[in-house]
Amino acid sequence: MTVVSAFLVPGNPLPCLKPDALVWGRLASAMQRAGRALAASRPDAVLVYSTQWYAVLDEQWLTRPRSQGIHVDENWYEYGDMPYDIHADVELAYACVASSPKQGVHARGINYDHFPIDSGTISACTLLGIGTQSLPLVVAANNLYHDAATTEKLATMAVQCAAEQGKRLAVVGIGGLSGSLFRTELDPQTDRIATASDDDWNQKILRLIEAADITRLRQVIPEFSREARADMGFKHFHWVLGALRGRFMGARVHGYGPIYGSGAAVIEFTL
Amino acid sequence: MANGEIIAGFLAPHPPHLVYGENPPQNEPRSEGGWEPLRWAYEKARASLDAMRPDVLLVHSPHWITSVGHHFLGVRQLSGKSVDPIFPNLFRYDFSLEVDVDLAELCAEEGRKMGLVTKMMRNPNFRVDYGTITTLHMIRPQWDIPVVGISANNTPYYLNTKEGMVEMDLLGKATREAIRKSGRKAVLLASNTLSHWHFHEEPSIPEDMSKEHPQNLDGYRWDMRMIELMRKGKMREYFKLQPQFIEESFAEVKSGAFTWMHAAMGYPELAGELYGYGTVIGTGNAVMEWNLRKAGLSQLDTADSAGASALNREPYGSGLQTTY
Repeated sequence: MTVVSAFLVPGNPLPCLKPDALVWGRLASAMQRAGRALAASRPDAVLVYSTQWYAVLDEQWLTRPRSQGIHVDENWYEYGDMPYDIHADVELAYACVASSPKQGVHARGINYDHFPIDSGTISACTLLGIGTQSLPLVVAANNLYHDAATTEKLATMAVQCAAEQGKRLAVVGIGGLSGSLFRTELDPQTDRIATASDDDWNQKILRLIEAADITRLRQVIPEFSREARADMGFKHFHWVLGALRGRFMGARVHGYGPIYGSGAAVIEFTL
Repeated sequence: MANGEIIAGFLAPHPPHLVYGENPPQNEPRSEGGWEPLRWAYEKARASLDAMRPDVLLVHSPHWITSVGHHFLGVRQLSGKSVDPIFPNLFRYDFSLEVDVDLAELCAEEGRKMGLVTKMMRNPNFRVDYGTITTLHMIRPQWDIPVVGISANNTPYYLNTKEGMVEMDLLGKATREAIRKSGRKAVLLASNTLSHWHFHEEPSIPEDMSKEHPQNLDGYRWDMRMIELMRKGKMREYFKLQPQFIEESFAEVKSGAFTWMHAAMGYPELAGELYGYGTVIGTGNAVMEWNLRKAGLSQLDTADSAGASALNREPYGSGLQTTY
């Protein structure tokens, strides 16, 4: 089996930057638990898709062997820096670049010093403990013009590339649930899901994921996206679904909570 | 202290291709040129700015996107390497800039008084966005004038254009009042493209100008219609049409810089000088100047009628007063 574990984690960096805020700290702890489960699945590489790495031309894949630096989030800079040191599985990333055109998608590798790796990817690396030498990443950008089907297709392709190289993969989709944010300054201790309706939607989606009701999920995600401003149309879930060839047995929700009003969950899929 | 002055406002778009085409020493990739009409347009804008001798440049950039309020650079010296996330092959630029923190703080304070959420960015490791850097490089490559960098709050996208433009209008009025109180001689830069439909693939040689043309005829027609209004100084009509322009041409002015700038200038019915128009990967870009000093509208006296009316005026094109 190529895919040995799969996860959905939040991309908002606040749990990483300010875990002393109780609700964000719980999510940080949940991500650390998920990270231990990921490591226990003994993957050779981690296939990552973050809604916050935007592309509009081509599909971009990180092909820099090692990316190091200090990142500062454009919104949450007051909570400090985000140092990163990310190792990539370049062999697999180049295979993905080469295979993308067969899916009708132009692709390019990204190998530039100081390239602005997004807050979601860095946050996930820090809290899950991935992107290390022993757990290198293959990172794909979120092309804003790609729909759910294209996103799934690319993830399926990436898993096929890993299979051809005889590699075991963990899959991580990085992004949020409901997307309504508080628009004014908030005391982190008072954070909550922005609306009751958003909370209902999030819980409904989580129940369907736990039940592995994929048919129903596919039906309701467009409505979830419209009604609850789901992060980027919930494409990070489609990424995971594509990697799993549309099948999983259930899921464990390690954590669910608000991040500045938006919905966030840490989910480990049962394969 | 004398009251401040808004000398001029420029529509100053930020495609990184223009920096790439110019080959300045700060930018790592090398090109064989390209996008000359737009770069020559910026040459004229540079000459005009040079003659103005402003104390400060204020730039509103759509590529510093903030969700909680309007943010201002608040560190005196910022430097680093800016790599464009979309075009890293074209733009890897070593920047170093001086921020007019005092004026930025005044802008934030005046914004708060008008009911906006504002924040000062105090992290010295902050990476300034490529939109701010490209606009500043293209208008003043010497980097010898302090700047105020302003984020694009995402209200126009998160809520809607109408509510977003109301916020940008208030931000502009707050900026005007801050400049007045500061005594600075200021130039405003709206870092915006016009029509924003673009190609989804890059030519193998990015500067191959045989591949460069408007992505979309409707977008081009909209650009010409709106530029013609600007050239004639029919700004009231422009702002009345702006929501439709945004809707039908995906215009980047939706991010608010252009509305912010004209609100700060007091919405003058003043002809803008077109220095040039061109497309970049299919998007429409114009370099234009509204010279308030030449028009006798630049002084921000407390009792100044243009200023007073600007502070009291409802935003054009917000949809609050007009129907379409």
